[in-house]
Amino acid sequence: MGTKKIKTNRRNFFQTSAALIGGSILYSILKPIDSISQSIEEETKDEIVNLPLWGMGIDLHKCVGCGKCAEACKLENNVPREPFYFRTWVEQYTVKKDGDVVIESPNGGIGGLKQSVPIEDIFKSFMVPKLCNHCSKAPCVQACPVGATYLSPDGVVLVDDTYCIGCSYCIQACPYGARFMNPVTHVADKCTFCYHRITKGLQPACVEVCPTDARIFGNLKDKKSDLVKFLQKNPTQVLKPHLNTKSKVFYNGLSSEVK
Amino acid sequence: MEEHFQHLYQALSQVDGYIYPNEIDLHWGLMIVLYPYITGLVAGAFILASLERVFNIKVLKPTYGLALLTALAFLFVATLPLVSHLQHPFRSYEIFMTPNPTSAMAIFGFVYLWYLMAVLLLEIWLDYRLDFVLWSKESKGFKKYFYKIITLGINDTDEKSAKLDDKLGYFITVVGIPSAFLLHGYVGFIFGSIKANPWWSTVLMPVIFLFSAMVSGIALVMVIYMVVCWIRKVRIDMPALDTIAKYLFYILIIDFTLESLDQIHRIYEAEEAFDIIEVLVSGKLNITIIYGQVLFGTIIPLIVIGLFQIYKPAEKTRKICYFFVGLMVLVGIFFMRWNVVIGGQLFSKSLSGFTSFTAVYTGAEGYLMAGVWLILPFGILAFLLWLMPPWKKVNARA
Amino acid sequence: MPKLIFRLFFSFVVFVSLFIIVQRFLKPDSFGKYGHYRANSIEDNQISTLYYKGEEKCTSCHQDVYDLKYADLHSEVSCESCHPPKIDANTECEVMPPIIKGSIEFCGQCHTFNKGRVKKGVPQLELNDHYKGENCIDCHNPHAPWELKK
Repeated sequence: MGTKKIKTNRRNFFQTSAALIGGSILYSILKPIDSISQSIEEETKDEIVNLPLWGMGIDLHKCVGCGKCAEACKLENNVPREPFYFRTWVEQYTVKKDGDVVIESPNGGIGGLKQSVPIEDIFKSFMVPKLCNHCSKAPCVQACPVGATYLSPDGVVLVDDTYCIGCSYCIQACPYGARFMNPVTHVADKCTFCYHRITKGLQPACVEVCPTDARIFGNLKDKKSDLVKFLQKNPTQVLKPHLNTKSKVFYNGLSSEVK
Repeated sequence: MEEHFQHLYQALSQVDGYIYPNEIDLHWGLMIVLYPYITGLVAGAFILASLERVFNIKVLKPTYGLALLTALAFLFVATLPLVSHLQHPFRSYEIFMTPNPTSAMAIFGFVYLWYLMAVLLLEIWLDYRLDFVLWSKESKGFKKYFYKIITLGINDTDEKSAKLDDKLGYFITVVGIPSAFLLHGYVGFIFGSIKANPWWSTVLMPVIFLFSAMVSGIALVMVIYMVVCWIRKVRIDMPALDTIAKYLFYILIIDFTLESLDQIHRIYEAEEAFDIIEVLVSGKLNITIIYGQVLFGTIIPLIVIGLFQIYKPAEKTRKICYFFVGLMVLVGIFFMRWNVVIGGQLFSKSLSGFTSFTAVYTGAEGYLMAGVWLILPFGILAFLLWLMPPWKKVNARA
Repeated sequence: MPKLIFRLFFSFVVFVSLFIIVQRFLKPDSFGKYGHYRANSIEDNQISTLYYKGEEKCTSCHQDVYDLKYADLHSEVSCESCHPPKIDANTECEVMPPIIKGSIEFCGQCHTFNKGRVKKGVPQLELNDHYKGENCIDCHNPHAPWELKK
């Protein structure tokens, strides 16, 4: 007799808890659904179609390696001044007459790149500014385990400071060495195309200060933009094309020695 | 932070060639070497246990329970090196809440949870349930309450329920084998899928990680079995030990073959990255690869155990050899993880230079922390062996 | 169904359900709107202090200097290229005017001879050989460099 009552009580317990759990699941499923209505979905699509697609062109025939871009970037974006953290930097390649290639970027080029190889040994030399390539198929975005880095609808790869857990997987995944771990915020950090400037119609800081107009920023969708004209006029290349990252930084005059 | 900058300035002065300015600091350090090492031990110990359970290699019975408890003890500790490494450990729940479907690392939470709960804990529970019921009647105090609760109220001790436990346990182990492969294979995939790093990016990486994991797990159980028998002052079951060594031998051969294949292929194709990798292997990684991983951790164990397959010396000699070979393999596999993780970050992605690894003793990525994470599982294992001694089990599985 | 299997299955279902419930509550609201990320982060990234103001802001007070610069070879060089802002773009320049010393080291950033710079339109010379030790602006008007003072 007693066991029957226990069995009924147990059955009631299970039924009640199943109902509660089922109800909670149902509620939690419905909660987001009723805030998403059809019109919002259409709106999002429209938004994306009208958005620009940001890219950058770099004319290596013009870069003189003054390093002002790297310096301006650090100032504009509060990057630590120590020589270990760069959102953008300039490299100097010196091809010697014996075939060796010397690559240098002391302090990212800030303060101006200085020639270290004696002039009589130099075959040719050139400067290459580097930055995040904002790849359309970014391996860093693919690698992030939580979704803290992403490709924005207007083509900029950004980091969510409040969400990044600091695992450094994206830094390992970037083939261009564009990312670093910010020692102050302890999250992954990198060039954002000065997103806070370009979304207000301004140019990125590096483009703003370049004295020779070696950096050209613009909307890849705008046929009248300087960037598109630059791409049309010059044979441009991207870095490490064999990795198929669909980089959106295009170099004119990229020599085969460039890594 | 000042100290960190000091060590970075020092690293900057030791740069060889050209590295991208952001690459001066190694982002994945000792903790990330430890994580695959520990999960590898788990997967390997489990595979050894499953050899008896699923493949019916009865001679391994004395080590079955021990292997499972070893796997469990190390699995509890497995996440901790990762948590030490994260810059924002309190946000780590995000891996469970919004795992990125394209990220290999995101699988971590789910594979870990699944393997821990659905496979390992369940299998151990099913194996011990009957014993828990019986032990709960004989013991007192903490043990008594523990045994009572852990049975989840299923107190049957009859033949039918024992058979059901057995059948379910078998089923779980069968599911557990691919789960163990996944638990360690995905770690290999984390490295193998990074196209940016030519030292890591190879199809063979998950397979190499898996087999080296099995090697390390088997060696671990072998060593622990000998130590536990010595502590308990009990005679070692030599057929069991010989068989474990035999399986260690077979899997070590496969592991060595895979690693050699990877390197031969790399040397033969001599792709763009080969020049710098050649300098890496003959330079900074020379001691840890050639002497640590290959000679000490693979060749010598292979020769010793291989010899025993043909000519079996006296029991005492074999015991001593097995013990040291086990330790050598464990050290060798640690070096393997080191060579992959640290080695892959020592050279620049510009393929034009090297940075350096600075040993740190204190702090979240230091040797002390690593020591803690390595010793802790043994403490947990000791506790588990006290709580659930495999040799006191009723059925012959022991 | 045997009691054992039922209980295990039931525990599994409970666990998964609890997990799903917790996930629904802990996942940030804007997550997933445009992709696998927190959509509100796009706005977060737009909020950052502006430092560089652009030449238009400079000309609002310094039109004369700009006109001088426009007529000479430094016309392509923006004001802030040499005068980096010391404070954010909303504060007035008078607070911390970015004065530049015009030393060899400073002007040398662009003008020191470097084989990688030749034929790019920027005059190059060994600055230490050129009127040793003096500051460039002792002779050159930085806004009109070919206007020599001596």
